[in-house]
Amino acid sequence: MPYSFYPGCSMEATGKAYHVSFECVNKALDLEAHEIPDWNCCGATVVANITGDFPQLAVASRNLALAEPAGHDVLIGCSSCFVNLAWANEKFKTDPKFAAKINEALSAAGLKYNGTLRVRQLIDVLVNDVGLEKIKARVVKPLTGLKVACYTGCQTVRALRRPDFDDVEYPQMLDKIVEALGATPVPFPMAARCCGGSQQFTNVQLIYELTGSVLECAAQAGADLMVTPCPMCHMNTDVYQRKINKVLGRNYDIPVLFITQLMGVAFDCKPKELGFEYNIVSPSKVLAKIK
Amino acid sequence: MSAENKPSYDPSFTRELRKIEGGEYATQCMQCGLCAVTCPARKMMDYPPRQLFKMIQAGEKDAVLKANTPWLCTSCYHCTVRCPRGIPIVDFMHALKNYHYAKGTKAPILLLSKVFFDSMMKRGKVFELGMTNGYFMKQGPGSIPEAMKQQDVGLEMIKHKRLPFFPPKKVKGLGQVKKIYDKAKALAKEGH
Repeated sequence: MPYSFYPGCSMEATGKAYHVSFECVNKALDLEAHEIPDWNCCGATVVANITGDFPQLAVASRNLALAEPAGHDVLIGCSSCFVNLAWANEKFKTDPKFAAKINEALSAAGLKYNGTLRVRQLIDVLVNDVGLEKIKARVVKPLTGLKVACYTGCQTVRALRRPDFDDVEYPQMLDKIVEALGATPVPFPMAARCCGGSQQFTNVQLIYELTGSVLECAAQAGADLMVTPCPMCHMNTDVYQRKINKVLGRNYDIPVLFITQLMGVAFDCKPKELGFEYNIVSPSKVLAKIK
Repeated sequence: MSAENKPSYDPSFTRELRKIEGGEYATQCMQCGLCAVTCPARKMMDYPPRQLFKMIQAGEKDAVLKANTPWLCTSCYHCTVRCPRGIPIVDFMHALKNYHYAKGTKAPILLLSKVFFDSMMKRGKVFELGMTNGYFMKQGPGSIPEAMKQQDVGLEMIKHKRLPFFPPKKVKGLGQVKKIYDKAKALAKEGH
């Protein structure tokens, strides 16, 4: 089933490993995800702070208008992009006044959206469209014995401000994918807790504390590594891990992989195709354990 | 009662906040406190969302406008999915920040949001390194010690190619993005 893929800005920069490994999984599972031509930034979680919600959602909706002619579900990996596009789409479909206003804004650029698309998160597509059986069947190198903390993150499961494809408090879908790869998900009650998001510059202490708790939870659970579908979670748990060790006096050494990176390992993609050079906490020692 | 202790009750403030985009939720809070125990940033907040809503309802203008509550919201939506009144608390926090921005309030998160917005409107996509530099430049020399403290993080990111030096390619339809934004801004102002 083909998809219109929306990578988002993070996947092209700080979350490059996600994009690279996604392409690998895309091929391995015949997802047929094709990038939306000429997509633009969704505004992340910050733009609405100075523009108000509506102008940000209107700018984000340009992507829906561009994707609509292809007629495929919009597939998104990044949590923040998913929030904006899925929420814009939900409001468009449930609030006729909002829809009319969005189209008035889009018409200034000669565009129109008819509300025919579905906006889907990668985890949702992997579990509900591809299916766990197909994922299992594609595994070449089962990750037997690998203990994994599945960090879904907050926005991925709460984009619609209500339950969607997974539980908003204790998400389970990521665990199922990890299980299908042959690995063992560890109990991880922090799965949908916030890492501090984009407060690195504005309140870094909050990142230390919140991400510190997430790492502590993974360590307590005896995880060999952590996986996430969110570029922001990855940024804080991987990039800031050593800093957190310094500031909080901890000693974490927990590699954090994008879920697509871990899938790529099980699918026996070449390490080069999985973008491990972008990971700051090296996963090589842990991954060497897999036979 | 001394002038200092004089209550700041100002019902016009409550009405004013109700009029901003998303402001209609300001008076719906029934004080159950679920958001207050849910918020991951509550320990650093002057007032958790519950208390802030009560203060808004009571017209405590000065205290509301001084509260750090909106600045600490990380948009994790945990309070929002739990709120039994269905108040989209995160969206309200965005609206409150936007209200501050329109009033000319200076706050790091507003500066970051502005720098992000400028970066987005320049190319249609965000240039993360450029945005980071822009943020610290605009904060002025006072931000240098803070920026220096994060040098180790920045260097690791560069070493692992996490901060590309070159900006993303400009979106071909950048003109469209600008037109949509301008039109949407005008529509939001009309408030219909």
